Amino acid sequence: MLDITLGQYYPGNSFIHRLDPRTKILSTLLLIIAVFLANTAVGYAALCAMVLFIILISGLPFMLVLKSVKPLLFIIVLTLVLHVVMGQGEHVLYQWKFIRVTEEGLRLGVQMAMRLILLLMISSILTFTTSPIVLTDGIEALLSPFRVIGVPAHELAMMMTIALRFIPTLMEETDRIIKAQTARGADFSGGNLLVRAKNMLPILVPLFISAFRRADDLAVAMEARCYRGGEGRTRMHQLAYRSGDVMAFVFAFAMIGLLAFLRWGPKLV
Amino acid sequence: MEPVIETQGLKHVYIDADNNQVTALDGIGMQIQPGEFVAVIGANGSGKSTLARHFNALLLPTEGSVKVHGLDTLDENNLWRIRQDTGMVFQNPDNQIVAAIVEEDVAFGPENIGVPTEELKKRVEDALRAVDMLDYREHAPHLLSGGQKQRVAIAGTLALGSKCIVLDEPTAMLDPKGRKEILNTMKKLNREQHITVVYITHFMTEALLADRVIVMSKGKIEFQGTPKEVFSRVDELEKLGLEAPLAAKVAFELRKSGAKLPPGIITNEELAAALA
Ligand SMILES: Nc1ncnc2c1ncn2[C@@H]1O[C@H](COP(=O)(O)OP(=O)(O)O)[C@@H](O)[C@H]1O
Ligand SMILES: [Mg+2]
Repeated sequence: MLDITLGQYYPGNSFIHRLDPRTKILSTLLLIIAVFLANTAVGYAALCAMVLFIILISGLPFMLVLKSVKPLLFIIVLTLVLHVVMGQGEHVLYQWKFIRVTEEGLRLGVQMAMRLILLLMISSILTFTTSPIVLTDGIEALLSPFRVIGVPAHELAMMMTIALRFIPTLMEETDRIIKAQTARGADFSGGNLLVRAKNMLPILVPLFISAFRRADDLAVAMEARCYRGGEGRTRMHQLAYRSGDVMAFVFAFAMIGLLAFLRWGPKLV
Repeated sequence: MEPVIETQGLKHVYIDADNNQVTALDGIGMQIQPGEFVAVIGANGSGKSTLARHFNALLLPTEGSVKVHGLDTLDENNLWRIRQDTGMVFQNPDNQIVAAIVEEDVAFGPENIGVPTEELKKRVEDALRAVDMLDYREHAPHLLSGGQKQRVAIAGTLALGSKCIVLDEPTAMLDPKGRKEILNTMKKLNREQHITVVYITHFMTEALLADRVIVMSKGKIEFQGTPKEVFSRVDELEKLGLEAPLAAKVAFELRKSGAKLPPGIITNEELAAALA
């Protein structure tokens, strides 16, 4: 059977896991700002130490978080290489034909790469420690003040909830259809892109028909259960800030303060 | 006592894709009393699902009227009251579960009508306990069996505060074990919490356990009565494309070939006793 874990939630009960999702989303944004403020070696060192510290108290395996860099590894390496070999600036360290390695280029390349790595790791800590369902609640709560300017906060959250509910079901169904078609002799491997796309049709068509049928059924079932949009709705799990959330915010703002000081403050040395 | 559901001259006409009129219900007059367990049987296309949807104001009469707890479904002000009082459970277990966690799904109905958080938690817990699914409150629905999913759907109606539950072929997609779970759950809710049950099914053995069986055909109520009365009419059922339980059929055939059997044999036990 398919083992479907949605998103990349890594269940646990750490301090970080227990934070309110709104706190985690907002703190993540604050820390991302902090990353963009960094422009000194000390600043980057502080950010790395911070990420290590958060990973430590969240109980996540370090390698797990590091792996979140993988999807963008190519871009990171490319950024680094391009900056290094096409260096701008006058302190030339090495030159061969059009390849020009400068101190400034080297610095900029490492900085960009560090930035990307830190951003990926920080945002993946959010999704590792928050289940998608709780994350949805957090997003809805954070967006709801913007309803007055027309942001459909509840509708977006409802869509995410239903997607979370039905993705595993549709994946099981895809699996079933593929097996059924394979049993009838369909071949899903090989061929060029066009052939492969054409081979997917016998899977996609029944899948879409069934998905529309499900959507129809679900709409009726929701109506039968008094669904009428977000107006006047209550929630079983009310979000609530606790003392830990205050600590997290203080920490995130302190990081911004530190990085801002390192950037604009009086030079220490 | 005021009936839970009362229809008068209920007619429902669909307009199909080719703009033809399809009369799905053609003059239904019926009453369902509080605490009753009513089974509705009938061939495919006889109008059972259409009827069920009228009980929850998901469809409105083309002609005639439907009253749920005395409230007319045509009056829009009654809509939310009616949908709370009469819960619906549908055939496909997957397509009626909204949330990715069992207890969140059970909470969906009461959340919609604005039940305060504290009461909501209690309602969800009570509802899950009533269908014996409390241990699964934090499970993901897609990992549950069909019978368990349907019990979650039943809990969803209980949490909404429904006093009457209408189930439209809830066991059609389940295995025998799941079928038994659902029937037992509904019998228990009917017995212990006096929930009125309207149970649409194409399994005659399930209808045997009802207080009353309504037989539908071509949008009309063909006949109705206790399971004994209904299932003794083996040949009439057959004409409507319905198969009486095996014991009733055997008794019917034996009688035809001259055997003297007491009337109203519909279960295997009764048949065995009569033949002993
Ligand atoms: N949405 C619809 N549009 C047109 N005709 C419909 C629709 N739903 C049901 N019908 C028709 O109404 C009749 C009764 O259907 P239904 O109530 O689903 O019967 P049952 O549940 O007993 O199988 C059938 O002839 C069916 O084709
Ligand atoms: Mg039907």
